[in-house]
Amino acid sequence: MKNGLFFLEKTRWRNLVLMLCVFGCSLTVLAQRKVSGTVTDMQGEPIVGASVHEKGTANAAATDLEGKFTLNVASGAVLGVSYIGYVMQEVTVGNQTSLVIRLEQDNKTLDEVVVIGYGTVKKKDLTGAVSVIKSETLRDRNSQDIIGAMQGLTSGVKVTSSGLPGQQASIVIRGLGSLTNNSPLFVVDGMIGGEAHLNPADVESIQILKDASSAAIYGSRAANGVVIITTKNGKEGPMKVQLDANFTTTRLPQYDLMDAETWKRYDDMAYDEAIKRGVAGVVRRQNHYDANTDWQKEMLSTGILQNYNLSFSGGSKSGKYFVSLNRLEDKGALYNTGYDRYGFRVNTSGQKGIFSYGENISYTKTNRKNLNGNPWADFIAISPTIPVKDPANPGGYGYGNPDRANNYGRNLVAMQDLLSQKNPENILKANIFGQVSLFNALFAKLNFAYTNYSGVTNTLRKSGNWTMGQGSDAASIGVQNYRSDDVLIEQTLNYKKTISKHDIDLIGGVTYNTFNGESGWATKLNPLVVGDKYITSLDAATGNTTAGGGYQKAAILSYLGRINYAYADKYLLQVTTRRDGTSRLPSDTRWGTFTSFSLGWRISGEEFFDVPFINDLKLRANQGTLGNSSIGYWDYQAVINTAPRAVFGSPEHKVIGMTQSQLTNTDLVWERKTTTNIGLDAAMLNNRLTFTAEYFRSKSKDLLVYLPILMSSGNEGGNPAVNAGSLSNTGIEIETGWKDRVGKDFSYSASLNLSRIRNKVLDLGYGRVEYYEFLSKAQIGQPLGAFYLYKTLGVFQSEEEVKAHVNSKGKVIQPNALPGDLKYDDYNGDGIISSEDRQLVGSPWPKFEMGVSLGAAYKGFDLSMNGYGRFGQDVWNGAAAAAGDFANNQNNFNGIVPWTAANPVNDRPRVVFGDTRNSRGDQSRWLEKGSFFRFSQVALGYTLPAGISQKAGMERIRAGVTLQNLITITKYSGLDPEFRDSGIFTMGADNTSFPNPRSVMFSLSLAF
Amino acid sequence: MKKYIYFLTCVFSLTFASCDESVLDINNENTISTGNFWKTEADIESGVVSVYNMFYRQGTWTRNIYTQMHGMADDGVSLAGWTELNEYSKFIYTNYNFGEVNTKIWKEHYVAIFRANQVLDNVDKVTFTSESRKADLVGQTKFLRSFYYFYLTALWDNLPFVLKTSSASDMPAQKTPDEIFTQLEEDLKDAVAKLPATRTAADQGRATKGAAYALLAKVYMQHHKWEEAIKCFEWLVDGEGKNYYDLMPDYGDNFRNTTENNKESLFEIQFSLINNVGFDQTDNYRDPNAQMGSQIEMNQAPAGIGWNNVEARRWLVDYYKREKTVEGKNDIRLFYSVWYNDSAKDFPERADSLIYGNKWRAEWGNRVFIKKYSTPANPLFYWNDNNFRSLRYSDMLLLYAEALNEVSGPTAKAIGYLNRVRQRAKLPALESSSYYNGAQIASNKNTFRDHLKIERGLELSLECVRWIDLKRWGLNDQASIDQLKVRDSDFNNFIVGKSHSMPIPQSEVDNNPNLKQNPNY
Repeated sequence: MKNGLFFLEKTRWRNLVLMLCVFGCSLTVLAQRKVSGTVTDMQGEPIVGASVHEKGTANAAATDLEGKFTLNVASGAVLGVSYIGYVMQEVTVGNQTSLVIRLEQDNKTLDEVVVIGYGTVKKKDLTGAVSVIKSETLRDRNSQDIIGAMQGLTSGVKVTSSGLPGQQASIVIRGLGSLTNNSPLFVVDGMIGGEAHLNPADVESIQILKDASSAAIYGSRAANGVVIITTKNGKEGPMKVQLDANFTTTRLPQYDLMDAETWKRYDDMAYDEAIKRGVAGVVRRQNHYDANTDWQKEMLSTGILQNYNLSFSGGSKSGKYFVSLNRLEDKGALYNTGYDRYGFRVNTSGQKGIFSYGENISYTKTNRKNLNGNPWADFIAISPTIPVKDPANPGGYGYGNPDRANNYGRNLVAMQDLLSQKNPENILKANIFGQVSLFNALFAKLNFAYTNYSGVTNTLRKSGNWTMGQGSDAASIGVQNYRSDDVLIEQTLNYKKTISKHDIDLIGGVTYNTFNGESGWATKLNPLVVGDKYITSLDAATGNTTAGGGYQKAAILSYLGRINYAYADKYLLQVTTRRDGTSRLPSDTRWGTFTSFSLGWRISGEEFFDVPFINDLKLRANQGTLGNSSIGYWDYQAVINTAPRAVFGSPEHKVIGMTQSQLTNTDLVWERKTTTNIGLDAAMLNNRLTFTAEYFRSKSKDLLVYLPILMSSGNEGGNPAVNAGSLSNTGIEIETGWKDRVGKDFSYSASLNLSRIRNKVLDLGYGRVEYYEFLSKAQIGQPLGAFYLYKTLGVFQSEEEVKAHVNSKGKVIQPNALPGDLKYDDYNGDGIISSEDRQLVGSPWPKFEMGVSLGAAYKGFDLSMNGYGRFGQDVWNGAAAAAGDFANNQNNFNGIVPWTAANPVNDRPRVVFGDTRNSRGDQSRWLEKGSFFRFSQVALGYTLPAGISQKAGMERIRAGVTLQNLITITKYSGLDPEFRDSGIFTMGADNTSFPNPRSVMFSLSLAF
Repeated sequence: MKKYIYFLTCVFSLTFASCDESVLDINNENTISTGNFWKTEADIESGVVSVYNMFYRQGTWTRNIYTQMHGMADDGVSLAGWTELNEYSKFIYTNYNFGEVNTKIWKEHYVAIFRANQVLDNVDKVTFTSESRKADLVGQTKFLRSFYYFYLTALWDNLPFVLKTSSASDMPAQKTPDEIFTQLEEDLKDAVAKLPATRTAADQGRATKGAAYALLAKVYMQHHKWEEAIKCFEWLVDGEGKNYYDLMPDYGDNFRNTTENNKESLFEIQFSLINNVGFDQTDNYRDPNAQMGSQIEMNQAPAGIGWNNVEARRWLVDYYKREKTVEGKNDIRLFYSVWYNDSAKDFPERADSLIYGNKWRAEWGNRVFIKKYSTPANPLFYWNDNNFRSLRYSDMLLLYAEALNEVSGPTAKAIGYLNRVRQRAKLPALESSSYYNGAQIASNKNTFRDHLKIERGLELSLECVRWIDLKRWGLNDQASIDQLKVRDSDFNNFIVGKSHSMPIPQSEVDNNPNLKQNPNY
């Protein structure tokens, strides 16, 4: 690699010179004359706000309400006239002083260029499944992270927001392919990763490579698809200044929980029942605390988020720039939480002769005040009678007491106050590339990318308690540092040539990517306290110190190549191959070669094709194999744990122990996923109607997974990675869109995407035919994660019913049950309820998923709506299961009607303290239909007429309001039918997940 | 232009050619790899220490096993606010994957066994300075592995039996208690042969020959191999063991942190506050500062002081009080074992003594709290350093008497060992008891056995011995269960043929085709 680096030095030098040229561009003043004109569309209607600029200068104007403009230009100047949605036109100013310029509507989306990794391809020549999201689409979406902003915009892409401030949404493309990591590979400006801290306002476009052939160039890391993100760069023309300001108010959904008075009534009922039935140790009702605490109200308020983006962009043919500043302040909707972000970005590019260069630098500084635990679990766990503050307790906060509220719920306010975790982070990302092009056909490019991350977590644990029986922990302070470097060096050589009808595009390259991470932590007891203020410096603490740390290292080396060939834009062929070696696999299996082929046929390009209303029709098919090695750094290397200690002797002394704690599988190999994809693209009715359909089948084998192994192995510290099993996914995706304009003022668009994905387990590894987790069972031939539960058959209404619940031999199945208890299905008919009676009772997989987006614009108004839904899946309502039936004095929901002799319902058992038999988690009573449709975004905007904004010295002024997640249609009784699952084997378990926030965003956008 | 072409060609060819694939050879040097370990005597020594280290876990001897062992036996019950925990102590098992008790105890015992197996599988690869050093280490490891298995069988009976270093794909076969005991007997006999009888001051707490004999005797007893057990007791009580072991004059010395590793103790879990890091790091396997203290006290202290996860049954108080000492006082073992409403009255000379730093509160009514291993700390710290006496000499004496009785009835020798225990508590010899009919008790094997059940209950209450005793005496007929119900109403939930074992963690049964759930679960 030494030579490669040496070359880099030289390139960098040249680029520096180029950069100076770009910034040094000066304007030459020539003889001026006045020219005026009108800009209209093809129907002759004036276009308001079109930009007219003199090419090669910063001289520009915008058209007024009548489409008119005036400009002083040099003689012989060339005017560039552009407006969004229209084809840019260039007009040479001759002797005329008055011009009429007619702009043609831009319907040629098919001529768009799509970034496919190490290159671009015209959309019409695509042979793979690629979805594109443009910056205009992202602009009005209310999301602070780029993944969240992608929600519902394309088919086959499942985005689930986390709801937690500052935490990113999760994304899965085309279902589960892997058992370990289902996140796609993100490539931001050629850098691997980096989506985490990306400012959505800086994004120019997102390309989602969904099938094997399009993703193949990324080989081993692309099995879950690839998301290529390109950040903005300047466009030729005078400097544009863009200022966006957003103000968002956020509310988090709340449970409808009982207040103290209602709760006491039910709790007394549960105690009375326990006393009546002789539950051991229960002799009287609780001597309730007198408080009436709404824990949700204590913890949740309206979150206020402010986000400001300011950007400057522009450039000339020889150099372009984009500079942006970002400031975000999120006063979290959760008590004592928050998130702060500062960022800037400088993207430039330049060209001279055969040289061109580009660089992107971004720096982000964030600061997060963390939340402890999951409040949605604790809201249910803690009694509403417990006061927030209680001077009788150490630390002064209220919590359970054996006599007054026998309850282990945690006081969330106390936790936030007593245990504070602040997490500042700094992220620097930079890449720079230089390119030499020869004969307009051969392009040699060197790309160097660097990411530096450093983060600190500062912990302060004040003394005091937040739950019953906590013991007296000493106060402590902790500092944890983590920093990492990620270096990528890539060289590619690209040959592009069109020889009559033959279009050839060849690319070859080598890339080398290293990763180095380092962490260290220290904790010290007894920080100094002055008054009630804790001194948070380690030096000032007086107690014992503990410390630790370690490092991580990885490297990946790859060779890649791709052939794109098109004959007359009709017959398309693409062959891609990548050979990857990774340090994460043992040396004899670390190299893998991944190849894909794809074919396309543009039927509409054939002479025989003559369907006037079809503008474009293309059929494509491909097959490819991709890899996955996204496992830990050293999963194949077994190591010794040096931490164990024991005490011997008198006087006692510590002795060091060492042992292997974690088992490893030393024979790991690449996980491989082979996908076949068939797609059809059509554009009809003057390109107003577009339609894409895809069918795919994929099969993964040697899945790398941290499959739980038996506890009897004595393994500790995480399950070892193993190549376990094989999984298939089959799916159909349909995307259709309509776009039109009625008259001069009204335009509208609508699009709908549908997808359906089925998965099947083909093999489970370690020779297993079944694999079980709490709530679920996976078996060969079936989808993953099917619910495997005890089935309930209602409530016993009487002693007679208990006696009548018998198996075929007349054995009473639940002889100890009382009226009001649940009746369980004796599935195996052996006359007892045992673990053998669990059965498959539901599926977490939606029958189909749908996304809808609608847009309309009338004069200055624009309206867009996005909605998406998932239909047909079952959900395990973990909140309902956690609330249970008063067995642990936990809170419950308003409106529950438990069984009583007086009101013998059949869907909810009696409430009884000290008896969990009716409220076990693994019963079918907690399953619900999870179908939903959600209007995730509704955005309304108004753009001031150009004349008015011009008077204010502006080019464009837009004000908007965006509503997020305000309307959800569902029968699911939990907080949110769209939740982050708790692992691939329990996809459908809503384990008191964070609900998605509901928000209203006001935005103001100025351009000048 | 030519220059550029030349340059590019050069760069590309060089780059491709010079990519040295060895850049991918990155070793984990955060710690030593297994391939470089198990090479020296020191490696084996530290491997053995890591097996002792497993005592300091929530699922082993830090806290949870006490709740479960006392709770199932007739001397304890859990009335914890945590309903699932408390149901587990009453034979009501709903969730077989209950983390706090079922999976934690199971898992952490197997971690210990894995560590022991690593030592035993690697010890022969290492050259030792002396054979006796090697023998000592092997002996300790075999003792420890047997120790962990012994308690696993006490809880679950039918276990996946792992004696070799595990690999991830293992699906170990299940063995019956009989098969397991047979193997433990072999291992412990070997440990007896290999271990030294005494330890230097610095090595106090490591297993000794006496400890191995004691555990071997307990295994034989559970296996109903009375004669083999007697052989062990002969060494411990009449033979060489006489030089090392005896009853302490003060019964209370068995539970104080100031009188640890005394002559009544055959094996103790060495607890310490040496790693006093101030926050709960008990189960962090990667933390060298993890706590090595016990939470026995926190676990059993009354609600409002500790967690009150487990407490005592009232019959203990009544039984202790029905026989007075030769001085006409109450049995001092009552004072040291439990804490109840009348303690101050029953022991007037100690009326001012506080327990857990507190005075009795009227709201506790006639509840009885466990006092063994408590310290006067107030408020309670999370941990304390009081060693748990796992194998106690008085247990051996009573078992000796029991084994002798099983073989040849209540001989004078058997009665003599019982009397040593009684007389330390200042009770009269059995034959002179004013409460018990000594002659009747000594008249046959069955009456003497029944009497030993009471004597053991009082001498060894709440020391994780009772449940093992109950299993040895049999829990497979409804008549025995009915007797226990009188003392402990939890036995109303006991189902013969089912409740003598706990349910094996369901995830283990589900995912190991060679493992069956215990009967009727």
